[in-house]
Amino acid sequence: MADRTPDTGELTYTRVFDAPRALVFRCMLEPEHLTHFWGPAGVSTPLETIKVDARPGGVFETVMVNDSDGSRYPTRAVYVEIVAPERIVWTEPDSGVTTTSTFRDLGGERTELQIRQANAPAGYRSPEARAGFATSLDRFAAYLEKLGGSR
Amino acid sequence: MTVAVDRLDATFTALADPTRRAIVARLARGDATVNELAAPFDMTLPGISKHLKVLERCGLISRTRRAQFRPCHLEGDVLDTALSWIEENRRVWKERFDKLDEHLRDLRRAPSPRRKGSNQAGRFTRKGGADG
Repeated sequence: MADRTPDTGELTYTRVFDAPRALVFRCMLEPEHLTHFWGPAGVSTPLETIKVDARPGGVFETVMVNDSDGSRYPTRAVYVEIVAPERIVWTEPDSGVTTTSTFRDLGGERTELQIRQANAPAGYRSPEARAGFATSLDRFAAYLEKLGGSR
Repeated sequence: MTVAVDRLDATFTALADPTRRAIVARLARGDATVNELAAPFDMTLPGISKHLKVLERCGLISRTRRAQFRPCHLEGDVLDTALSWIEENRRVWKERFDKLDEHLRDLRRAPSPRRKGSNQAGRFTRKGGADG
């Protein structure tokens, strides 16, 4: 059972992959893998822009490049914790967002990857914010979306 | 990507409470009076009013000063700013997952024909600082 802290304004994204945990873990940590998927659709992350110093305090930097207009989006983070093959935590100094990747072995060479983002944005850190969150904020957003726009 | 962060902070703080989220969700369907908003909750009117004040302070809702009814109105633009941050984030991760899925498929197709002792995947080139 994953730890269920009475958490706050976290955003959570989960996906199950048909691959062994060790491999999924490496994909999230090694530039040769990251380059294949780090940029969302229509955005590349050239291998030479990815800096990974995989230890607590080490940098995790990328530059995502828009395929159509070439605009560049640098990302800058620092690793907080790396526990192979279970967990990777990094934090973005600019925004204060902390991202935790948790790798769960489901057996049969299937792996659940959960991304949790906390402190996003800084308002989440207020005691008031911490006290209140019962359901995840992203699900709430999805719900509102389904209502057909909030105008 | 940093849009009016202070305002966004206030909005997220306001949305940090499940009751307030429920109120916002209700108002997304149309204006409502305090009584109407209170109906689904086991909560006193003053209790609801307190939540409304928080929502009002960050600009998420507005209230017209119309006699005792004072219907609450959701300010869509304010909510949209917060939601678009979430949406954008969610989209990025969804698409990363899609691409990672594809990448893993490619990897598994290419080297060894099929699982069983797939220990090439079990080796790490980097060690994690397990205890910091």
